[in-house]
Amino acid sequence: MQANLNRYSRQILFSEIGEQGQRKLRDSKVVLAGCGALGTVIANSLVRAGIGELKIIDRDFVELNNLQRQILFDEEDVKRNIPKAIAAVEKLKKINSQVKLEAVVADVNFTNVEALVEGAKLLVDGTDNFEVRFLLNDACVKADIPWIYGSCVGSYGLTMNIIPGKTPCFRCLFETAPLPGMAPTCDTAGVINPIVNIIAAIETAEAIKYLTGKFEALNKDLITIDIWEGSFEKFNIADRRDKFDCPCCKQRKFEFLEAKQGSSITSLCGRNAVQITQKSIGRVDFQELAERLKKSGEVTFNKYLLKFSIDQYEISLFPDSRAIIKGTNDFSVARGLYAKYIGT
Amino acid sequence: MKKIIYFDNAATSWPKPVSVYRKMDEFIRKWGANPGRAGHRMAVGAERIIEETRHQTAQFFAIKDYQRIIFTLNCTDSLNIGIKGLLKRGDHVITTYLEHNSVSRPLEGLVKKGIITVTRVNHSEDGFIDLQELNKAFTPQTRLVVIVHGSNVIGSLQPIREIGKISKEKCTIFMVDAAQTAGVIPIDVERDNIDLLAFPGHKALFGPPGTGGLYVAPRVDLEPWREGGSGVDSESELQPKELPFKLEGGTINTVGIAGLGAGITFIQKEGIEKIRQHEMELTKYLLEKLSEMRKVIIYDSGDGEMRIGTVSFNVEGLSPAEVGAILDESFGIACRTGLHCAPYTHKKLGTFPEGTVRFSLGYFNTREEVDFAINSLTQIVA
Repeated sequence: MQANLNRYSRQILFSEIGEQGQRKLRDSKVVLAGCGALGTVIANSLVRAGIGELKIIDRDFVELNNLQRQILFDEEDVKRNIPKAIAAVEKLKKINSQVKLEAVVADVNFTNVEALVEGAKLLVDGTDNFEVRFLLNDACVKADIPWIYGSCVGSYGLTMNIIPGKTPCFRCLFETAPLPGMAPTCDTAGVINPIVNIIAAIETAEAIKYLTGKFEALNKDLITIDIWEGSFEKFNIADRRDKFDCPCCKQRKFEFLEAKQGSSITSLCGRNAVQITQKSIGRVDFQELAERLKKSGEVTFNKYLLKFSIDQYEISLFPDSRAIIKGTNDFSVARGLYAKYIGT
Repeated sequence: MKKIIYFDNAATSWPKPVSVYRKMDEFIRKWGANPGRAGHRMAVGAERIIEETRHQTAQFFAIKDYQRIIFTLNCTDSLNIGIKGLLKRGDHVITTYLEHNSVSRPLEGLVKKGIITVTRVNHSEDGFIDLQELNKAFTPQTRLVVIVHGSNVIGSLQPIREIGKISKEKCTIFMVDAAQTAGVIPIDVERDNIDLLAFPGHKALFGPPGTGGLYVAPRVDLEPWREGGSGVDSESELQPKELPFKLEGGTINTVGIAGLGAGITFIQKEGIEKIRQHEMELTKYLLEKLSEMRKVIIYDSGDGEMRIGTVSFNVEGLSPAEVGAILDESFGIACRTGLHCAPYTHKKLGTFPEGTVRFSLGYFNTREEVDFAINSLTQIVA
């Protein structure tokens, strides 16, 4: 065994991986999209397991309310108010200096997603909204890069593997995003850390299987877990691709990459505010959304708009799901707030 | 898409007369070649239509030598060509607080580089500049007076003829930004003492976006800052000295200019007075209705004749952007909100940085549309 593989001896002893598997891990480049709750757990595990290269993409800065579940960050990071991707890379370098690490502080959107995933052997999902997952799905299916989907909210989480051309893709399962404001998010419904750890653990295990070439061991189902209720379920989705004429993986129409789907964002003239509009229009149920938001901040609404204040920001949401976000000119911040509180 | 009520004519007029759509369609199919660069029939045909439009535009503004109009991308382009082509180190410029960024920014850029100095003349609450103050602002270094004809925020109309006369007496170049007025207020460069007239094609002249023009009086010499192909005098190493070639390097927006020509023809057929009268009747009606509404604050230039069809207001308790989004989203009314690219005006009005809601009416708007908008606002403030 080579000296630089010594640190992985316990992993190499595991017969399914062995020295050959460890070398394969060392030769692989992984992209991690999103470095929050799921992302920090995944990054921690993959770097310790000895992958060759990890690119971490995240647009957010470390906040105090992240520390309850985002394992790579500490109070010092909050004080320094640094981007999550940078803080994570700093920490991971100390954990395993053999791994090549790259931090990308960016909002993933249709203009940059293809370049961001280019050259990856695998992409792992640690994001927090539907829109970015549709984008990642388009980019990965187009470039033939497998990716592992994972998400959680409350005590509930789900995950699945997407191997382009072989398994159903994300869009085979979720044809469109839920209406903005209609799905719970971690910032409106909360989240507990055990569900984060378990979903991230499954994503990491699947990543290791894929990167070591143990394709037959890969999970083929959609796994859903509610750690509070104690329910663990697997849904067979194998025939989903045959039954559905998926616009993405069957017709190869990459609507999110081409900005035909998804949201667009513009600065508003002369003020510290931006407007986000959705391409697919539906009506938002203000009553239901207000109910969810009132736990996180001040919310008022009438027939025409819903106003929600959080920290120094104010979100004005209109029935067609467009939003004016006041208090920032930064598109990343605005998209982040939209994803966290309105949700797409 | 449900029917839209378009109240954003100060940004770009819409809809256009049907003849504009037809003309552009016909032009690009029949004459889509490069004007003046070759001798074949399509190139000649394209050039003929451009020159006809140049002639027609010159007549429209009572310009004697039609070659002294150049076609540009838009009014901003025209203003930049004029301001940057004219001013030299040490020059002084007189302007106002009512200017659009297309005047303020080129000037401020030159100020920051230490090339020029600028004096801004104050205006009254209803948006009319103080002519006495203007008179006193001249220095021996004053080279240019540049003034917006119609305010794009509060709609006030400046007495350009008088200002032009003052400028002439002081041997200064007078430049008019006719962004909001060309096509709806009669402009006569001779009578109004205008040396540089910048106008957009896509607003009240009913042309498409991507068109504009600049008139350059014989006594003004502008340095070109866009040099290139002219189709004439190609053996010369430098840009030709003759207008329009001097300032019109590169292939111009032929199809857009053909459309602009059709727009001007429409105005000539309808009559500019009739267009103006319709817009004023509608504007006065809108103002009357708005002023009856509670929670609505109007920032305005009054209901006299020295105004255009642009009305700014705010609704108590809502930001302008919110009002605009509700009008668009729930009622299908398209209007502009914010600063309208005129930050100095809003600082004076006390509406900075949120700005205002702006309804800018055009010839194709109707009384029913104004009624609908008022009704919509009534529901919003309820």
